Amino acid sequence: MPSFADGAVTHRDFLRSAFQSMLRARILENKLSSLYKAGKIVGGVYLGRGQEAVSATLGTALIQGQDVFAPLIRDQAGRTAFGESLLDCTRTYLGSLQGPMRGRDGNIHRGRPAEGIPAMISHLGSQVSVVAGMLFARRLQGKLDGCVGATCIGDGASSTGAFHEGINLAAVEKLPLVLVIGNNQFAYSTPNRRQFACADLVERARGYGIEGFAVDGTDLLACASVITEAIRRARAGHGPQMIVARLLRLSGHGEHDDAFYVPQNIRNDHYGRDCMEVATRQLVEHQMVTSEEIHAWNDQFADEVQRAVAQAQQEAPPDPYHEDWTALSTRFPLPLRTSSPSTVRQPAAQPVCS
Amino acid sequence: MSVTYIDAIREAQETLLRDDPRVFLYGQDIATFGGAFKATKGLAELFPGRVFDSPISEDAMIGLAVGAAIEGLRPIVEMQFADFSSIAFNQIVNQAATHFYRTGIPIPITVRLPSGGTVGSGPFHSQSMEGIYAQYPGLVVLTPATVSDAYHMLIDAVALDDPVIFCEHKFLYRWLKAKSINGDLLPIGQARIIRPGKHATVVAYSAMVHEAVRAADHLQHDGWEIEVVDLRSVKPLDINTVLASVARTGRLLAVGEAFPWGGVTAEVVSRVTEEGFHLLDAPPQRLNARDTPVPYHPKLWAAHRPTPESICQALRKLLAF
Amino acid sequence: MPTVPILMPQLGESIAEATVVRLGIAVGDAVRADQEIIEVETNKAIMGVTTLCHGIVSEIRAQEGVSYSVGTLLGLLEVTPEEVARTGMDTLESLEEKRAATHHSACPSRAEANLHFALDDNDAYEEAPAVVPNIKGLPVPAGTMGAHYISPRMRARMVDLGLREADISAVAGTGAGGRVTVEDLERFLEYLDSWPSTHASSMRLAVADAMRRSWTRPLATVGLPAVLDRVLDHRRGHTPKPGLTLYLLRAFALALMENPTTAGYLIGDKVVHPRSFDIGVAVQIEDGVVVPVLRKLDQKKLSELVGEYDDLVSRARRRRLTEADCHGGIATVTNFGTFGLTLGTPIPLPNETLILGIGAGVKKPVWSTQVEAFLPAIVADIFLTFDHRVVDGGGAGVLLARVAELLQHPDSL
Repeated sequence: MPSFADGAVTHRDFLRSAFQSMLRARILENKLSSLYKAGKIVGGVYLGRGQEAVSATLGTALIQGQDVFAPLIRDQAGRTAFGESLLDCTRTYLGSLQGPMRGRDGNIHRGRPAEGIPAMISHLGSQVSVVAGMLFARRLQGKLDGCVGATCIGDGASSTGAFHEGINLAAVEKLPLVLVIGNNQFAYSTPNRRQFACADLVERARGYGIEGFAVDGTDLLACASVITEAIRRARAGHGPQMIVARLLRLSGHGEHDDAFYVPQNIRNDHYGRDCMEVATRQLVEHQMVTSEEIHAWNDQFADEVQRAVAQAQQEAPPDPYHEDWTALSTRFPLPLRTSSPSTVRQPAAQPVCS
Repeated sequence: MSVTYIDAIREAQETLLRDDPRVFLYGQDIATFGGAFKATKGLAELFPGRVFDSPISEDAMIGLAVGAAIEGLRPIVEMQFADFSSIAFNQIVNQAATHFYRTGIPIPITVRLPSGGTVGSGPFHSQSMEGIYAQYPGLVVLTPATVSDAYHMLIDAVALDDPVIFCEHKFLYRWLKAKSINGDLLPIGQARIIRPGKHATVVAYSAMVHEAVRAADHLQHDGWEIEVVDLRSVKPLDINTVLASVARTGRLLAVGEAFPWGGVTAEVVSRVTEEGFHLLDAPPQRLNARDTPVPYHPKLWAAHRPTPESICQALRKLLAF
Repeated sequence: MPTVPILMPQLGESIAEATVVRLGIAVGDAVRADQEIIEVETNKAIMGVTTLCHGIVSEIRAQEGVSYSVGTLLGLLEVTPEEVARTGMDTLESLEEKRAATHHSACPSRAEANLHFALDDNDAYEEAPAVVPNIKGLPVPAGTMGAHYISPRMRARMVDLGLREADISAVAGTGAGGRVTVEDLERFLEYLDSWPSTHASSMRLAVADAMRRSWTRPLATVGLPAVLDRVLDHRRGHTPKPGLTLYLLRAFALALMENPTTAGYLIGDKVVHPRSFDIGVAVQIEDGVVVPVLRKLDQKKLSELVGEYDDLVSRARRRRLTEADCHGGIATVTNFGTFGLTLGTPIPLPNETLILGIGAGVKKPVWSTQVEAFLPAIVADIFLTFDHRVVDGGGAGVLLARVAELLQHPDSL
């Protein structure tokens, strides 16, 4: 697949592609919210509204089939850009047996690990070391060249031990890990000032001995240049890259939350602006897209989303009476053996340990 | 010539590194230093680029192993002490153990836990974690008690597609010796009757198997024939072998070194009561460590865990019923 | 036109209900897909309920200010078939079909084939009433140890061998508190093997079982002498001759009728009273005893009973009794005097409280207050065995004395 990174895709193509993913994600997520508020989805719906520019840029800059992308909860745009189908999303949210999680897990806890998309768990920070492990394994197998692994995380998750352990390990191993911290100013309802004491999270990069970037997460053009550069440096062997994108979550933590705790002055300030509007203005101004095109895409994506919802809605849910109730892939009891499974070599005459 | 339990573990890892290119070792101080217990001594030199020192980051160590397993490798992670795996608990039970169920992609990692008490090790270097991990779906939990099992079960553990918690007993490391690592061919998930008898069944695993055999030897002088079952694998639990033994003896004592609340012994008693109530001629008994942290002083420690003496006492009570 | 339900969504993981704050729609309104039509408030936030397709509001069930549980039907939309197809939404009609289709599948009552997550009232849990700790009614054995205690394994082995608790009463226990262990039992069985043995008949086993079960109760026996001359005179004057036992049956029934609680049967904290004065008679047959029952003894004169009595006894001896013949008695009469016995302590049936026995009549001098001299008389002792939980010695004595007295007036029987 041609990518921006290898020069085969122009800056214009890249931005148009990222913008389309943003738009597709926004429309999909609006539909998810609607499904939730109509009682069709249980558990929760978690949106990436306001974070599409960062996420879509990352997903667009990564190469599907080659790179690893471990999305977190606000990465619908990145997932779409990286190539995850809309059906994977609607099937998982609606509990279809056809989906990648088959009703066993829901909403954003989905993935296709064998295709480079690990399925996140709810315990924040824990995907950092998993991505590091995938890269580590590729290096051991001599398959790492040119690969990067990216994962996204929020300001809240940056306080976890797993986050620290994961980055430190990746730094020690000098792995091509791209860590995008979407600092959306609130972890559920907890503001930055109760989450960390440093002036900017990007300062931490120096402590880990890795390269760090700060970017305005509401600005598609800025995200595109910073994130693609970070990915280029990771690919080029400069070790882990940390990107801290400043923005504001334009929704509640989930759709059950009306975010009453976000003060009006924060909503009104620079980072409270909607990255979709900013991106639309930027691309139209730079004559990369026309209003007519955006209009047509809107209709096209709304139709794609509606079809993905309708299909998942009508597919069979899991059947508890036919569910394979085992969490192991091994089927016990194992058959008795007649010969040893591997060559038994006697230890050396002198015991290795004394 | 004799082979110790830790020789067997080191030997198994050498065999695995030699025979399976997917295997690599990851843990604290395991490369040049050869591990806190020398379970990987010399392996870094024999297999350059396959044995890695990790930072003191138990959570990230398991996270890395899970990632590597997704990519098709078979990592063996050494926790320096089983006790420290509590830091990795989240990655083990939530990441590794749920992965196959959620995604259909198995996570073949082996986590070696140097477990159990030794003199003077105190509260944080003596714990037995098998019961905690066995409680979670999606994990295989192994507790080898013999030199041969230490070797063969580790080989088998790496061959399994599921995450394996491999509980090695630190006391057995050097205390337990055998003429060779040859053994029977029991598969993972099958218990072994290590000593036949007819008056009572002791179900034990790991180091407690040897304590139980000593107790049984002692009671033999009084004419009691005690059957000792070595579970080998606490999950899956081979309840059929246990029930067959209780069917012969009518009396059950489950012995474990872990803390007494719940755990493997409680599971054994519960399953036997549930499935073999009609076999019981006496209330089934459990013997575990005491309900305090593992104490430091040798005298306290010796009275904290089950010993041949306390097992004998429990058996006499059971036999007198 | 298809109807699409508007449901109360689950707005939060622990949310069970929400309050409607504002209805933004009225019946007849046209609504768009994804339009927020109802504003609801949870304890966490104020949220909107959306509709998922274009349509016309045909019914509103929700009211402002009222709380509804998750999954409640808040209203209905009429939607075109094309719109239903476009959105893939379930309609009331399609839900009904799916319910019907899954009704007889393995899934019990929760027919929600493709509802995905739509919840209904059946999903709600009701809080169970608090349990008041109470040991009343718990089966508390007199002793859990000793010979009373039978381990699960022992019980299983006994079932295996067809043994009852009575069978192991001869075994000396070596277990805790002297309980009989399986080893004790096996040793005992081995010892028994050295003795000659035969198989017990099924009649023998039936009697053994009844007696063993009856013997679990505290039984006591009282007795007194009864003069039989008048009965015997009366008997000689009738053809066919009524059996002596029949006089006893009739006298017993009349005495019980005067004090029916005496024949009550104690179950737990309840005394079960006689429904009808039906009394059995013990008939010795080969290798056992059977007890056919005579019906409504309080309502039939002696003379009317002779035929019924003779028929039952004759069929009993020929083993031709049916189950119904032996069913439903409240007490039993046994005449062990026919074996020449003068004294006995009979055992009532397990489901009866009383048994009346009579010994052999013996000619004895009896002091007559009328003539101030000993006169010869035929005297038999009668005995009443009773469940001491129900009846006491006094009550039993009154009953027995009344029977003896009634026997002095055979004409009234």
